[in-house]
Amino acid sequence: MTLFAIIVFIILALIFGLVVFFDIRKAKKQQQKYHLGRSITAMCLIFPACLLAFFFILLPILYSLGYGFTDYNLLKPSVAKFVWFKNFTDAFNEILKGGKLAMALKNTAFFVVLVVPLQIILALVLALFCNVNIKGRGIFKVCFFTPVVVSLTVTSYLWSELLSPSETGMMNSLLGLFGIPPQDFLNNPDTTMLWIVIVSAWQGCGYQMLIFSSALTGIRKDLYEAARMDGCNAWQRFIKVTLPGLKPTLLYVLITVFVGACRIMIQPMLMVGYQDNSVTLSYYMYQEGYAFRHVGYSSAIALLMTIFIGTITFIQRKVLGDKK
Amino acid sequence: MNTNKVRELINDNKTPIITKGAKSIYAKIIYYILGICISLMFLFPILYMVAASTKSEETIAKHAGTIMMFVPNFSNMGSFFSNYEILFGEYNIGRYALNSLLYAAIVIVLNIIINGLAAYAICKLRFPGKRFLNFIIMFLIIVPVETSIIPLYTICKTMLGFKQNLSILAIILPSSISVFNIFLFIQFFSSIPKEFEEAARMDGANTLKVFFKVILPLSKPILATVAVFCFIGVWNDYLWPTMVLVDESMFPIQAILGSLQAKEGITTGQVMASLVVTSIPIFIVYIAAQKYIVKGFGAGGLKL
Repeated sequence: MTLFAIIVFIILALIFGLVVFFDIRKAKKQQQKYHLGRSITAMCLIFPACLLAFFFILLPILYSLGYGFTDYNLLKPSVAKFVWFKNFTDAFNEILKGGKLAMALKNTAFFVVLVVPLQIILALVLALFCNVNIKGRGIFKVCFFTPVVVSLTVTSYLWSELLSPSETGMMNSLLGLFGIPPQDFLNNPDTTMLWIVIVSAWQGCGYQMLIFSSALTGIRKDLYEAARMDGCNAWQRFIKVTLPGLKPTLLYVLITVFVGACRIMIQPMLMVGYQDNSVTLSYYMYQEGYAFRHVGYSSAIALLMTIFIGTITFIQRKVLGDKK
Repeated sequence: MNTNKVRELINDNKTPIITKGAKSIYAKIIYYILGICISLMFLFPILYMVAASTKSEETIAKHAGTIMMFVPNFSNMGSFFSNYEILFGEYNIGRYALNSLLYAAIVIVLNIIINGLAAYAICKLRFPGKRFLNFIIMFLIIVPVETSIIPLYTICKTMLGFKQNLSILAIILPSSISVFNIFLFIQFFSSIPKEFEEAARMDGANTLKVFFKVILPLSKPILATVAVFCFIGVWNDYLWPTMVLVDESMFPIQAILGSLQAKEGITTGQVMASLVVTSIPIFIVYIAAQKYIVKGFGAGGLKL
């Protein structure tokens, strides 16, 4: 592994050397010259950034590509060997068998399908609400944005406390007022992901609201007046003017929310733990790679995830972006 | 359609609001009631957290789910902060908050120096291989790095070996490099006129001096944006510190929350108090640095 890093480093250094060489030759042809001292200073200034970027950005990407085809195990790194597609077939077998990975897939799909529309629609409604010309709307905006400020860790712990199965938990004591017996919201397989969806939408939608809100102010006002003159009612104006005006923003928000939703991990991890009803793809990947030390297998899943997310994002961009 | 209203709307072109303002008093009242209801839905968990953090276990058990939760106990004001006292005294949460602050401070300084210098060289200096580096930066911005946390972990483990004192490096170094920040810096630096630099060079300043004495003082807004985002990032990071740190006394505050909850004899009120303590600095930063945060959102390739 260290050898691989050294080889990559040497290759990159060689490429850079070649590029520098060609640049100098090209400059000579054009009768320009590089100031030697200044060039060296410049490279010295870039060097720390390049070094860190190599180790902590580029190398992890390359490794995550490479590990997927090995049986690298953190406990015995020296005996890692190349196993071709075994990790991928293992993953598919696990899905067919209905193991943890199948549950992870199911939970993630459930989460994404629910949270993406919920969060976007909620954000859009809130943004429209905050754009009504009336005093005090700024305060409402701040209120809706507050959950974004609180960190994921804090929200997860806070909600697991609010939804605690004991009678004194907030939600249960509220239900108790109506005579409903205490529920175990987070460990009941039917409601676990539902609550995680609610918590995520609650926390996230303020941010998208802000984006929508500033996009709304950018829509030309005369369009609305024209629509009004033509006798469009509020709903028609929304469909005919607001939505088309929001399209680029909508696409951006859709992609970011989708990618974020696919990577959901901290909330189930802190609210429920590694259970069948809460495991998600990222969580499964993390657990396999970090807790169980099956780095090879975990990287294979990460690779599949990256490919999947990349494809879907690409399709979304193509389908929604071309119509403009 | 009332023609007067149309005229009115055409006349007040200044307001950037798209929805027609609610005119009648009833519409206004409905708007405010609706707004307050939704706001309460959004704020309720946070208000509950703050309220519960000042209450003892018995009070929470007695009042949970009623409005009494939000009323301070006036008869016993002495114990208002008792949860916080225990938290700072017995559980020593101040130490972890200081850890977080320390990590954030180091990361901010390193981030600005390392990324700022690189951006300065790429933006302002002429040297061979510049276009290639520019291309690499653009490439690294598009490539998704989120799934690479496990490889990052193995790299840090083999490089640093995870001895006690070195594991701090594993927290600091990976977050000190940010291609996105380099990109932000380049964007900002290219708006600084060349004359400033040339004047300094005439006076005999070398490249480093130009950077620290001329460029950095001119780029305070972008420094603030980068610093604020670094702070939020480091302070809110949970997963990575729990992976790389072995010694619990070096944990940042987010990472300690979990082990605090697992402690025996800790009450709901104390847990809530720990959550409040964790959130307060972020709230302060958001309020104080609003301007720069909005700027940072805008710089993220968004057409705002």
